[in-house]
Amino acid sequence: MEHTLDVAAELKNLAVIRHFIEDSAKRLGAGLNTIEDLIQAVDESAANIILHGYKGRSGKIVVEIRKEGSALVVCLRDQARPFDPTRVPPPDLTLPLEERRLGGLGVYLTRQLTDGMSHRVTSEGGNELTLRKKIR
Amino acid sequence: MNISVSQAQGRVPVAVLSVQGDLDASNYQDLIAKAKDIHRTGTGHILLDLTHTSFVSSSGLVAIHSIAMLLRGEELPDTEHGWASIHAVGQKLPPGAQPYLKLLNPQPKVDRTLEKAGLKGFFEIHTDLSTAVASF
Repeated sequence: MEHTLDVAAELKNLAVIRHFIEDSAKRLGAGLNTIEDLIQAVDESAANIILHGYKGRSGKIVVEIRKEGSALVVCLRDQARPFDPTRVPPPDLTLPLEERRLGGLGVYLTRQLTDGMSHRVTSEGGNELTLRKKIR
Repeated sequence: MNISVSQAQGRVPVAVLSVQGDLDASNYQDLIAKAKDIHRTGTGHILLDLTHTSFVSSSGLVAIHSIAMLLRGEELPDTEHGWASIHAVGQKLPPGAQPYLKLLNPQPKVDRTLEKAGLKGFFEIHTDLSTAVASF
């Protein structure tokens, strides 16, 4: 079973996306912690698309969630400029605070909260970000 | 998200800033603006009541950090620099030493977000209002 949401890429729709993920993940049999982690990860990813991908330009985000084996898989598709968040290096937590790199908190949290993240440029030149979360 | 402000009196006047609902990229600047209003009126101590805060994204964490910086009389960070903004708060003080901003009663989901972002150690977290107010 697959659930799909198609919304305008606007910050006010982050709540709509979170509710969609919560409802869909429940229907697909995920537990509370899995759902909460996925909501946060998808919110961070969608906010990055809106703020750093579209940068105020109009567009849309398509969110698709499905169950694959013992995991939930979420795909976020957009028509923003190509950007691969998986190439954002993780922060080195062993460095002194003042030496840590700038940016990337949302991507860092997304990595922390999921079991896999991949990206591809679509045939239309947009982005498809796939998040995988084991059902616990 | 709704924000309400009440005043409490401990050894010093404390503004209790309560956030009801989701704190995300669509509204985190409203929270910073409210804290600026409080600061302008001369109140230098804020207790951020997270009892009814159901969700905090990385943008919300940046808002919390920005309020801490504001109350310390420092220039607000560039909120585009999420990770650095969060951790800049710990550059000059030891963990748990934020004297002007403390947190009240974050719910488990929000508490996990604070922890995963590495922010939890930088703030005193209380579970009781009167104890929190008296701690300033």
